[in-house]
Amino acid sequence: MNIELRDVRFSYGPIRALDGVTLQIGEGACGLLGPNGAGKSTLLKVLLGFLRPEAGEGLVLGHDIRKDSFGLRRVVGYMPEDDCFIPGLDAVSFTANFGELSGMPRAEAMKRAHDVLYYVGLGESRYRLLETYSAGMKQRLKLAQALVHDPKILFLDEPTANLDPQGRSEILELISDITSKKDLHVLISSHILTDIEQTCSALVILNKGRVAAQGDLASLREVRFSLYEMKVKGEKGSFLEGLRRGGCRIEETEDGLLKAYLPEEMSRRDVFRLAAAAGVQVRHFVKSRTSLEDLFARTVGVD
Amino acid sequence: MEPIAERGYTHWEGTLGTGRRPWRVIAGQAVRLAWKRRFFKPLFFFSLLPAVVFSGGIYISERLGDFQEMLKGADKFLTINPDYFQAYYGSSFLFFMMLMIMVGGGAGLIADDLRHNALPLYFSRPLRQRDYIGGKGAALAFFLLLLTLAPGIVFLLLKLIFSGSAKILSDFPWLPFSFLAWSVFVSAFFSLFTLLLSSLGRNRRFASILILAAYFLSDVFFGIFYAIFREPAFCLVSLQRNLRQASASFLGAKPPMEVPGIYSILILAAIMAAAVLVLRRKIRGTEVIR
Repeated sequence: MNIELRDVRFSYGPIRALDGVTLQIGEGACGLLGPNGAGKSTLLKVLLGFLRPEAGEGLVLGHDIRKDSFGLRRVVGYMPEDDCFIPGLDAVSFTANFGELSGMPRAEAMKRAHDVLYYVGLGESRYRLLETYSAGMKQRLKLAQALVHDPKILFLDEPTANLDPQGRSEILELISDITSKKDLHVLISSHILTDIEQTCSALVILNKGRVAAQGDLASLREVRFSLYEMKVKGEKGSFLEGLRRGGCRIEETEDGLLKAYLPEEMSRRDVFRLAAAAGVQVRHFVKSRTSLEDLFARTVGVD
Repeated sequence: MEPIAERGYTHWEGTLGTGRRPWRVIAGQAVRLAWKRRFFKPLFFFSLLPAVVFSGGIYISERLGDFQEMLKGADKFLTINPDYFQAYYGSSFLFFMMLMIMVGGGAGLIADDLRHNALPLYFSRPLRQRDYIGGKGAALAFFLLLLTLAPGIVFLLLKLIFSGSAKILSDFPWLPFSFLAWSVFVSAFFSLFTLLLSSLGRNRRFASILILAAYFLSDVFFGIFYAIFREPAFCLVSLQRNLRQASASFLGAKPPMEVPGIYSILILAAIMAAAVLVLRRKIRGTEVIR
């Protein structure tokens, strides 16, 4: 496991931000998903050692988050959510400085800064002052400084925040390229579901400071519920009522298509049994792929 | 902008060092940033003007006969003893220029990092709080030592060269140590004072105003109280007067006001201690509001 946390708790005064977080994150790209205020950024800050948990313990690539924050920060690259830069510097000096601070020799840091700036697409503008950069360029710059010391794991906090669709897709393309490397792992915190869906193979959903769901994205979709699309003929009121009583969520589209989210304990046979009892004919019945949005809505309990 | 991910991500072949001193990286960056500021270079070179004048004074003191006409009885000021050096180290002009260098090169050191959220970037590296504060402070101390310690060494060397004897060192053997101690003390004071005020806001201009206001208003208060009560102890409320008193104590000269110099040293040391305490609270990888 790359990241293991056990019963981690952290509060901002009376507000409990992390409430007994226990999780395991393996290799590859993992999404950290949750509504605003769920504790995603706090969790990243705890993992980096910025915030000391009140209770619990954790390891990141074998480094204890309480006792070995120096060792941990050598292997982690961090891309914060907010715009971060040092005015008066150009991108090369900025990136090389952070390479040096990570322990790279000056000449090597400078060389590597050029490499990563080219990689993130800032090669042409690497000698421009940072205060003249656009939002998209600043986002790429943050990624460059996170990559300069060649970390083993990247923590990306809202990597596509404040970006236009083109910039967003370019950043996601970069992240996908990074995650294609088998030995560089990524933890992406975001509340944009499609970003996670596009880049991650595993998922942790946080809600109100607790882990609401975690695991492989594909199996999470399967395990939590199954989505079926169906069309029925007849008076469907009592049929739908029966489904809802069984814990099934129903959505009806304008063209009369019913989307039924069956809980684990309800089978397809139960659906047909309920239909027969209500006297409706099931004319169309197809298993559909659940989107991350569905999974998220079900897990955190929102529509 | 060229297409992204054209080359694909490549790994770095080297190994990260563990014995490096990150404060040096931060200090180097801060010195380069200050040096690049528009008015900093002229300001800095102008600050060296008194050192040039006092160096000239040392030369003239050894050639009084040649300059008799020019001096017209002013040669009593050219006796090279601790009072001569105190005139340099305790001059209002030197303190003012040190202050201006702090405003020009130091006001934004922490304020800019706070404004542009740079602290999480620093502290996501293997970096201690003292590395960050020490690095920023070292950058300021570097400029200040060039105005204090470097001229002190030059003064002594010039005196030894022009006089052709080591009499100055046999008469006042503590002088080199006094230069060193005072230079380190005053540099540490101005550096911490500047960093403290720079950390109180997210705006470089606000920090500049605070630095100037704290320095000059304290002197205005001294002026008012002294005019009313005629009590020299009120010099302890003025930063500038405290610096002058302390410099005299360090150099073994007579303090300008009839108040023991140790009081001023203690007050300045207390301000430095308070600055360290505040900086330790303010400088963190993340802002925690409880």
